Amino acid sequence: MKIRNLIAALSWCLAAAASAAEFQPLDRVAAARIVDPASHTVPTIVALWSSECVHCKKNLKLFSEMARGDRRFRLVTVAVEPQFAGLAELLDLLSVPGQRFAYGVDSPEALGYALDPKWRGELPRTIFFDGKGGKSALSGVVTEAKVRSALGL
Amino acid sequence: MVSVATPRTAARKALLALLGILAIANVDVAHAQPAQHMHGVAGTKPARPELGTSAAFAPDGALYAVTKDGQHVLLHRSPDDGRSWDAPVVVNTEPEPISADGENRPKLAFDADGAALVSWTRPLAKRFTGEIRFARADDRRHFTAPVTVHRDRQEITHRFESLAVTGAGKVVLAWIDKRDLELAQAANRDYRGAAIYAAVSDDGGRSFRPEQKIADHSCECCRIAITGDADGLPLLMWRHVFEPNERDHAIVKLGADGAPGSVARATFDRWRIDACPHHGPSLAVAPDGTRHAVWFNEKDGEGRVFYGRLGDGRVEGQRALGGERAAHADLAVVGRRVAVTWKEFDGERTALRAEVSADGGATFSPRALAATEGASDQPRLIRRGDALLVFWRTETEGMRGYWLE
Repeated sequence: MKIRNLIAALSWCLAAAASAAEFQPLDRVAAARIVDPASHTVPTIVALWSSECVHCKKNLKLFSEMARGDRRFRLVTVAVEPQFAGLAELLDLLSVPGQRFAYGVDSPEALGYALDPKWRGELPRTIFFDGKGGKSALSGVVTEAKVRSALGL
Repeated sequence: MVSVATPRTAARKALLALLGILAIANVDVAHAQPAQHMHGVAGTKPARPELGTSAAFAPDGALYAVTKDGQHVLLHRSPDDGRSWDAPVVVNTEPEPISADGENRPKLAFDADGAALVSWTRPLAKRFTGEIRFARADDRRHFTAPVTVHRDRQEITHRFESLAVTGAGKVVLAWIDKRDLELAQAANRDYRGAAIYAAVSDDGGRSFRPEQKIADHSCECCRIAITGDADGLPLLMWRHVFEPNERDHAIVKLGADGAPGSVARATFDRWRIDACPHHGPSLAVAPDGTRHAVWFNEKDGEGRVFYGRLGDGRVEGQRALGGERAAHADLAVVGRRVAVTWKEFDGERTALRAEVSADGGATFSPRALAATEGASDQPRLIRRGDALLVFWRTETEGMRGYWLE
């Protein structure tokens, strides 16, 4: 491996190391992978939200508290808008753990469809995986009991 | 084989070791996100224009549109009904933040004397806050300095404005306002949703009366529909939050002084949810007073765009438009002609569709107008005399008009 290539690989690794708290741009392929039950071997919440959604904070707060208190499941957040300076403000405020995505170059319609063909744009929208191949989705503010039930916890 | 240690190989070994450590540390991220390689480093901001655009015909028949470009609102004129566009005019000389995405967009209307009236929401520093801005140009080229329409200057929500000129030259601006929610929260009281406020101008937008509250408990982020009733007075329709959390629609008529009449429930789909649909209605009134509307709601577990005629405590002729992914419909009425348009994603492309009725909405015939591969704004239906034009801005094709024969 040439040094130039090594440095390039190293740069990518450094970027990935920082990416738990940074947004990764979502494309159709990544969206399809995120919502494929086969991708999730542990209970996982995929939380769709946006900076324009006044009801999203309640869910994000709940998911954040639950994820930090129970390491049996993973949390993935998807901002359904392109990244901009300040997009992380709410997630940081609530100490939301897990991978963070924001819409990338594909059209919002294509990304929304790839994430959930039944979803009509209302927020919050949450997709639950029980880690055993089961998948369900809910719109709106959810309770902890509903979350635990959907995750099979 | 003897390995000769050189500074170059030493550096390579050190880098490989570091790479190995980082690769192990990142195994979870890398495992879950192989597709990220395609778009380079994390956090890259995609270049995407905000497509929120409004269009209107001036009294002389010319087609105009308003868009956002950075911190400016631009007024565009088309000499050929949307096939081409002249160089735009800057509405706000001084730059400022402008909302122009989804349910937000600059608005455009024309006074009877042909003056261009433009409004927009200026977002402020705090989340969900904004001001309603307004500017006027007698000659459609030289705009007055923008004014903030409302007297209330708290850094709170005044957003999602709609603009219309209805009957007798009244200019109506209505928006979603959270001053009542803020008061309730300060007093530790519950308050459903936000409120609708409106300001009326009697002089073509040169000045506005103080804003009035139209209704408590609106939904928080859906566009408001404004149109003229058969007598010319303003009618407003918006997504409301009926008790306990039913996100149906409400309608109200304003008096000549801008004071609201009684608020009536307009739709009865009973979508109970604590969520932001980001999907506002549209309303048009026929000369005989029939109120035609399109709206989005979830009914019987399915989110659909509906058409219907709003009656007294009921909806007549309610039916779903298009397929499961029909979205963001608009409509217009000319005499007995009723036209609706919407966009619909089919898994690959977004299609622009319409239906036209010649019999007051009893029967409709479909039209397939266009399709785009990329992002697109909501379609608008506008009229010039008896002619109806569907206006649609897409990221790939730009601003286009489609006449409905």
